Amino acid sequence: MAAPPLLEVRDLSKRFATRAGRDPSSWVIQGLSFAVSDGEFLTIIGPSGSGKTTLLNMLAQIDTASGGEVRFQSEAAPIDDPKGLNPGLSCKIGYVTQEDNLLPWRTTLQNVLFPLMVQRRLNDETRERAQMLIRAVGLAGFENHYPHELSGGMKKRASLIRTLVYDPPVILMDEPFGALDAQTRAQLQDDLLRLWSLGRKTIIFVTHDIAEAIALGDRTLVLSRPPASIAGEHNNPIPRPRDIAGIMTHPEFAALYQSIRAQVQ
Amino acid sequence: MTSQEAALDLREASRLRWRQYAVTAGRIGLVALLLGAWKLGADIAGPLYAADPLEVLERIVADTLSGSLLHHIYVTLRLSAIGFAIGCACGVALPFLLRRLPRLTIAVEPYIMASVGVPKYALVPLFILWFGIDDAPKLWLVGLLVFYPVFIAVFAGIRNVDRRLIAMARVVGASEAAISREVIWNSLLPFFLAALKIALPRAVSAAIIGEFLVGNEGLGYMIESSRNNFDTTGVFTGIVVATALVLVINTALVRIDRRLNAWRPTDRHMGL
Repeated sequence: MAAPPLLEVRDLSKRFATRAGRDPSSWVIQGLSFAVSDGEFLTIIGPSGSGKTTLLNMLAQIDTASGGEVRFQSEAAPIDDPKGLNPGLSCKIGYVTQEDNLLPWRTTLQNVLFPLMVQRRLNDETRERAQMLIRAVGLAGFENHYPHELSGGMKKRASLIRTLVYDPPVILMDEPFGALDAQTRAQLQDDLLRLWSLGRKTIIFVTHDIAEAIALGDRTLVLSRPPASIAGEHNNPIPRPRDIAGIMTHPEFAALYQSIRAQVQ
Repeated sequence: MTSQEAALDLREASRLRWRQYAVTAGRIGLVALLLGAWKLGADIAGPLYAADPLEVLERIVADTLSGSLLHHIYVTLRLSAIGFAIGCACGVALPFLLRRLPRLTIAVEPYIMASVGVPKYALVPLFILWFGIDDAPKLWLVGLLVFYPVFIAVFAGIRNVDRRLIAMARVVGASEAAISREVIWNSLLPFFLAALKIALPRAVSAAIIGEFLVGNEGLGYMIESSRNNFDTTGVFTGIVVATALVLVINTALVRIDRRLNAWRPTDRHMGL
C-alpha cells in the first residue's frame, strides 16, 4: 500500500456567507475530491468563475471550507471556522496569487526578502539564495526598483521568487502568468520548470489555458462549471525535460489537448 | 540624439527654469504686496487697532534680545509637543487596538464619532474645574484636538488596507505584530501624514488658546496680556511669531512626508 498522499481533498464544498440584502449564495464548490502526492506538478484547469481561486484559498487556509475535508500531511484543516485557520500552514504551503501582491513601499529585493525577514531567517545564506533567484529570473539590476517601476512580467517574477525564497515544500499558483504576453509567459513557464526541476517541490498550478496546463503538469484536473467538482483527470505522458516553446508539436499533445478540451465547458 | 533634439531639450530645460524663476519672483512680490497692504492698513487704522509691521519687527528683535520671547516660545512649544505626543499616541494606538476587537469597534464607533461634535474649547472651563490651573487643562485641550483627526485618519486607514496584502503576509509566516508594523502601518502612512498636517498646527493653536485662558507664560499669555495693556504691537508680535512657528513645523512635516513617501510614483512638483 502506497504512502498517504501529501495533500488530500475529499467531498469539499464551499458557499460564501450571505450578506444583508442579497440572496443566499449558491454553492461554488460541491463534492470536490482529489489527492496530490509529494513532488507532483499538478495543473488544474477550469472555466472562469469555476471556483479555482476559492479552492486554492482553502488549500492555503486563507479561507475556510463549508464542508468536506482537506488534509495536509494527514492533518485536517478546520471546516467552517475562520478563526481556526493557519494561513500558509506554518510556511509549509507557499501561495503565488493571481495579483502579484508586492508591498508597494518595498523594493524588489526587500519584497523578496520579506518572508525571510518575518520568519527571522535572514542570514548570509538565505540572502545569497535570494540573490541567486533574482539572477535566475532576470531581475538582476532591478533589486532597488519599487514595484511600480517594474513591468508586469517583472512583478510576476518577483512575486514568484518571493515564494520560492523560503522554500516551502508545497506551492500553490493561481494563474500566475495569466495577464502576460505570450513570449514573457513562455519564458516564465520555462523558468518555473527549471526552478522546479532543481528543487522538486509539489506544485498545484491553476490556469484556464489548456496548453499551459499540458506544458507544465504531470497530471491535469479539469473542474466543472459551478458548483465545481472534478470533471476529468488526465495523466500527462509527455516526458521531461520539456521544450515549452515546441510543446505543441509533440505527438502526444494534440490528443491530450482534445480530450481536455472536450471536458472544459 | 541628434543635435536638433538636443537643442530642443535645452530650450525646454531653460523654459522650465525661467518658469521656476517667475514663480519665485511672483511669490516674493506677493509677500511684498501683503506687507505693503499691512503697512497701509496700519497707517489708516491707527496704532490702537493695527500695529505697524516695522514696529512689530523691532519688538521681535528687542524681545528676542531680552530673552522673554524665546521663553514664551519655549513654553508654548513644550505644551504643544507634550499635548501632541499624548493625543497622537492615543489616536494611533486606539484604532490598532480596536482592529483586534471588531465587536467592541461596532459598539463604540458611533459614540466616538458623536464625540467628534463636542466643541473642545467649550470644555476648557470643565478641565480647569477638574484639573486645576497648571499644565493639565491645557494638555487635555491640545491632546483632544490632536486626537480626533489622527484617530479618524488612522481608523479609516486601517479599514482601507488591502486585505490581499495581509493574506499574503500571513501565508509567508508574518505574525500579527509584524503585519501591523509592516503592512498596516505603511498602508496607512499617507492617511496619518495627512492627519498630521491638520493636527500639528492645531496643537500650537490649542496651546495658545489654552494660554489665553490659564497661566502666566507662553505666546497665548503674551498676546492676551498685551491686549489687556492696549499694546497692539505686542498682540501682532505674538500672532506673527505663532504663525512663523506653525510655518516652520509645516515645512519640517513636508520634508518628512517627502522622505517617507519617496517610493511613491507621484509627481514631485505637485507637493503641497
